[in-house]
Amino acid sequence: MTTIRELRVLPPLAVARLGGAAEPMDNYTAETDPTEPLGPRRLRPAPTFHVDPGSGAITGADTPATLRFTDGHGKVRPVAPFLEVWALTDDDVLRPLTVDLLRDNGLTPEDVRWRVRVGNHKIQRRTYDDNDRIDADTEWFSDHVSHELMGVCANFLEDKFLPLGHARYLKPTPEFPGIRLRFTPAAGHVYGSAYTDRPTDPDPNVVDFLYDATRGKWRGHADQPGDPRLTIPAQIYAGDDGPDGSWVSRGYLDDECDGLVHVALDVSGRELTAFGRIGAGPPAYAPDVIPIRTVADELDQALHGPAATGQDTLEQARAVAEEVLRRATETVRLMNTEVMNGNTVDGRVDAASTMVRQDTADTGRLFEPIMAPSLVDAAAVLALHRNVLAALRSGTAPWFADVLRDHDEVGDLTAKGRRKMPALMRGADGRSLALTRRQVNLVRLAARQAIFRQATDEPGGPR
Amino acid sequence: MSDDRIDPMNLTAQLHYSAAGNPPSTLPDSAISNAFPGLEFDIRNIWRRLLVGIELHESDNYVVGADPEHERLVGRRLLSVGDHDVVGALVGPTRPGSGSSRLTSADNPDGVTMLEWSNSLADVLADHVGQTVPCLFTSGPASKPVGKPSSLPDPRFEVVQLEVRALFAKSGTTGGDLAVIAEEMAGPGDLTRGLCSPWQNDYRECACYYWAASRPDYVNVEDTAAGTTTGNHWFAKDREPREYVLDNRFDSRLVSYDDLFRDWQGELRFIVDGKDAPEYRETEPDGDGR
Repeated sequence: MTTIRELRVLPPLAVARLGGAAEPMDNYTAETDPTEPLGPRRLRPAPTFHVDPGSGAITGADTPATLRFTDGHGKVRPVAPFLEVWALTDDDVLRPLTVDLLRDNGLTPEDVRWRVRVGNHKIQRRTYDDNDRIDADTEWFSDHVSHELMGVCANFLEDKFLPLGHARYLKPTPEFPGIRLRFTPAAGHVYGSAYTDRPTDPDPNVVDFLYDATRGKWRGHADQPGDPRLTIPAQIYAGDDGPDGSWVSRGYLDDECDGLVHVALDVSGRELTAFGRIGAGPPAYAPDVIPIRTVADELDQALHGPAATGQDTLEQARAVAEEVLRRATETVRLMNTEVMNGNTVDGRVDAASTMVRQDTADTGRLFEPIMAPSLVDAAAVLALHRNVLAALRSGTAPWFADVLRDHDEVGDLTAKGRRKMPALMRGADGRSLALTRRQVNLVRLAARQAIFRQATDEPGGPR
Repeated sequence: MSDDRIDPMNLTAQLHYSAAGNPPSTLPDSAISNAFPGLEFDIRNIWRRLLVGIELHESDNYVVGADPEHERLVGRRLLSVGDHDVVGALVGPTRPGSGSSRLTSADNPDGVTMLEWSNSLADVLADHVGQTVPCLFTSGPASKPVGKPSSLPDPRFEVVQLEVRALFAKSGTTGGDLAVIAEEMAGPGDLTRGLCSPWQNDYRECACYYWAASRPDYVNVEDTAAGTTTGNHWFAKDREPREYVLDNRFDSRLVSYDDLFRDWQGELRFIVDGKDAPEYRETEPDGDGR
């Protein structure tokens, strides 16, 4: 008998994406083309689970003929991820938790318990009022019905709640015996705030009024200048100009959320528990593109540390270097680099919100384009990235490592400092983007190792 | 399930695991981390509680809360943890032709900038979890940014020993890290609390094109006879003429705040291979497959 020792929920962080269509987004893959390494990733339909609305069982896994991101009626299809339960067994193997494995341990699918807790604390983050927290909790369940995530808030109007989506424990079947839960996010609506002591004008921007603007402070809230607790950037809420340059909240809220998916199972008298995380955000509107720096990169660095070590093979380092370059190319392809460089465009100086504008506004730095204005047409920048990849692959680009911005160079706003890569983009500290240190170190390992490749292909060489 | 087995110690495989039926846009590598403040998550929030006893601002070195034992640290600024600085110098020119110098101002008298927690604290997390490390704070409240002193001791600063908390949950069986962020580091709602409210506002407000995968800027791009390019602003209501309308929230050719609040799903277009994905229209609604 294979004994279950521990549970895990995989993926540990699943991203859902809002949409108002009834049918969730189909599955697909995004693959690179080996013959065109910096070309677009190719999206291909993949086996898509069909969940029976009545039973909660998966009844099929067909591959759609074409990918459709909307429902044909102006609504976006939500991305509704599955979260699987895996079991660490007494043979030190991590394997999917299935009906058979449960049976081996004297258990049934009904013994599996789930609980989903999500929150939307955007308002509380601004007002500092704990009565503005919006939370939903399914409590523990083992059935296969769809559990609505009803966001409740002390400052909501009576009997109102914020719909934050659904969670459903899918009924295992002989064909699909895995233990899994599906999180379907909300529709992506905007909600409003209404007064209870005076009339509130209708607002075509909101689908409903949820928040009690008489009891709570969100409608009419204004971030106070000089308060070091403000979000960075501050004043990022729907609002209108108020007195003395203030930005006054309209009292809008959305149905994004994040939280935890807990699972529990009693095995031989021991309660085993695990959890994964979910979040609901906007659609990925360019689904064949991966951002230059992602949440996965953050977590990868947090798991493995910032340095490239002997456990990082040269092959892995080269793969990271190519992926960084590929992502940069993908972003450049969708970015107007002339505008973002701070060029004068159509006779307009400071033509858009750019790092050039931000640097000047935030620090008083001289306003001037980052690169020479004649060099940044999108076609030229794309060609440059292709050339860099070719040089990397041929082992003639050790210099590439030196043009990357180090994490502690983000305050270097000299002309040379601002031209480092990734250029024209903003990081989480508000200054020019730096990659994670682990990304940088792996790229450097790949770039510099290329010189010595003829001598040795093993990691641990010059770094 | 997608795969039969995973090495329980292979945290990378678990972090990147794609469950059966999930498209790539469900994975953490589809979510941006240049979070200012972010789109899917404001991932900066996972660092707020790294030092036991205090709570840091998600993106600043300002102490926003503390346990009773460290209450006196609230309102102060953290300058370094162990040997690792969390602020850096701001340097650049202020006039054409001039050299570069420290960029100071009334609001930033020392001319410093925060370094992202994820990078500045990476060594601390890698080397000191469960250990106590010396943390350099200002000696008193500091609402404005403060630079690190050139030497210590300095009466304006104080070193406090604080323990480093683990970022990831631990396996009850092996005692090792799991690939999931620990519950005590971020509860429900913590990873989205800093995002714009509502998020639709940020798509218009920010007008910053640092998130091309989720929020494209320059689409339907074509080469011109001059060897340059032309294309549409993603927010352009009409794709003809093929021209880039400079972003302006008052330009009626572009999607407005109200357009997004009311019908973002109808206004925004998916972009595949740099171009508008074919519009799909149907006369009868699909069934409910939840």
